[in-house]
Amino acid sequence: MAINTVPPLIAAQLNYLLSNSPLPINVEQMWSGSKHHGLLDRFTLVIPFCLDYIRWDVIYNALYPLAAPDIIFGPEDESFRPYHVGGGDGDLKSPRKSLSDWNCKDPTWLLSLILELRELYMTYQRKRVGEVDDERLKFELSTIVPREGIEMYMRSGIEKTEEVKFAVPLLGVDINKMVTGCPWRHQQKIFLEVIFPVGRKYRHAPSTPRLKLVASPELKALFSTEDFRLPPWLDDMCMAEYLPILEGLLQSQIVDAVSSIDVRRKFIVALAPLFGRPVEADPVFCRKVAFLTSSGVFTFLVHFSLPLQFPKQQPVLMLQSSQHFNPSGAPIKSPVITEFPWSSTWESSEMAERFFDFLVEECLNFKKYCNESLLQQR
Amino acid sequence: MDDLPLQKIQISGPTLASLLQRFSSSPGDVDGLLFGRVTHIATSTFSDDDPTTTAAASSSSFDSPTLIATITSFMGSTSTSTFYDSAGRLNLLSLRRLFSDNQTLSLLGWFSGRRKTPLRPSMRESAVTSSLSSKIQFAFQVENSPKSYTFSPCVFLLLTTPFHDQLIHTHEYRAYQFRLSTESFEPQTLDVINIGPAFRGHYGAFCPNSQFPLLPCQLRVSSSMAEDENCESESLKSMERVSEDQRVLDMCAEDFDVGRLNRLIGSDAANYAGELEDMYKKMLAKLEGLAKFVEKSSARVLEQENRNMKLRYRVAGLE
Repeated sequence: MAINTVPPLIAAQLNYLLSNSPLPINVEQMWSGSKHHGLLDRFTLVIPFCLDYIRWDVIYNALYPLAAPDIIFGPEDESFRPYHVGGGDGDLKSPRKSLSDWNCKDPTWLLSLILELRELYMTYQRKRVGEVDDERLKFELSTIVPREGIEMYMRSGIEKTEEVKFAVPLLGVDINKMVTGCPWRHQQKIFLEVIFPVGRKYRHAPSTPRLKLVASPELKALFSTEDFRLPPWLDDMCMAEYLPILEGLLQSQIVDAVSSIDVRRKFIVALAPLFGRPVEADPVFCRKVAFLTSSGVFTFLVHFSLPLQFPKQQPVLMLQSSQHFNPSGAPIKSPVITEFPWSSTWESSEMAERFFDFLVEECLNFKKYCNESLLQQR
Repeated sequence: MDDLPLQKIQISGPTLASLLQRFSSSPGDVDGLLFGRVTHIATSTFSDDDPTTTAAASSSSFDSPTLIATITSFMGSTSTSTFYDSAGRLNLLSLRRLFSDNQTLSLLGWFSGRRKTPLRPSMRESAVTSSLSSKIQFAFQVENSPKSYTFSPCVFLLLTTPFHDQLIHTHEYRAYQFRLSTESFEPQTLDVINIGPAFRGHYGAFCPNSQFPLLPCQLRVSSSMAEDENCESESLKSMERVSEDQRVLDMCAEDFDVGRLNRLIGSDAANYAGELEDMYKKMLAKLEGLAKFVEKSSARVLEQENRNMKLRYRVAGLE
């Protein structure tokens, strides 16, 4: 038996989970629980929950490969019991049923077990939050609950204060559908993270909760949450009032972001008659484009990088020689060029012409720069 | 069933040592049952205060008695899920079968050992412990207590090994009491009781599991065959009794004649110290013989387990 291999039945279930999970679940580490053999039968799963991660250890037994796994939850969740004492056999969806009918040969069981347990964990956290003795929180809970997909989490924050965190999904629209030819595998979502401190000293002064906008990572190709300014949270506001304001603003900005793709696309199209057909371009979000041009016998690539705020924010240029190479064999690139004639009010055809004129001059400087670099190498 | 808090849990040194040995020698995870007793310790309040405060103190001691659980033995297997299934439900039949031999001791709880895992109860262990502690049929009486209290098997002992292999720190363990009222695991201190002058006071809760049998010390072994027929039948009966007693003695000692017992007490007991030493020597010889026998049978069990393991691996496609 080889050392440090994963037993095939466990590997099948784990691989299925990693490739078919609707949420981005990762494996943090794998180790062996048996004395002699190096069979990896235990691992830690990192599961996203409430804009953070929870870590669960999944314990298989390599010596008993047909048996169902056991799960150890995080250190703060000792009171999380997915089972009820003395309960009946439960309905078909209870984890008790799926564990007692564990079919080791079926690779889908681990994923369905983990997802079921995550649902139960969500209910458990909701119950914990509901038990917090804080009037403001109770009011928030009663007004916000009708929304779908809210996750909440109670944790002890810094300096032993308890905090309750809400992750509210915003915008019922399907952002994936708004982008033509969107390459995203997962559904992109934007969440508002609201953290309420819970403690006695805050009872008389309802303070502003900590707010943060969090988006799934792939969304930054279209829309940047860091650039979005959250509307202010006025005193005595509650989530039910704040959310519609926020969503209205967000909706208009997302629509703007989607239409700015077209603005960028128009610019790239305007460059083509002057520079030729692009060598490389990003067709979906139109953030980058590269052209191959020449000035005399000097052939080089021009890289345009278009920011999300184009045309309010200017693009960035970079030149790359195809004839000069540095000692490690990579082509010589110019430093990033930001100084060029530019105005956001120009038409895209005029922008293209100005760039062309600028590059006619600039490429000579770049040629000199490349030659000097080569001389320095010798 | 009363849900009473334990003050602490005691375990004898040899029991803990053999638990750890069982865990460390097993190729995989282990679990098993813990047996022992729960005793009530009378707390004495010595105070010179006025009677009202002492009355209050004594009444509070009646409300929550001081209970100490003592683990004296265990029964373990080298596999897991011996008396429960994957979902944590108890298999009452196998549970009964496991501890039907142990009539003198009560089921205190169970233990689980798993390598390189965090030292806190897992999902299945929580389910099993809560099921076990809610089963009324396993509840037992608290000993030595003025009021009648029943206690359910709610002790859980968890053994793990540290995550990274270390030379000095090889095992970790923690004992919990599962409280039905709050459905939570309360960690308890685990006191190790050893034999020795420092522990003399603590060893009071222990009593022998296998007691020396009750045997008559005055035997009328007829030295001469009597001519009477009555005497014949009587001597036959007495010979049967003697051989029966010898058989019982042979369970504890090796080759110690029953007839020598009368030299231990009474008028013939001039040299009883020598006789007693001899008897102890024979008892130790018996123990040694038993140990050898157990060793041989353990070797055969190990062979069989290895065969089973190979079959399991073949089924799992690991070969």
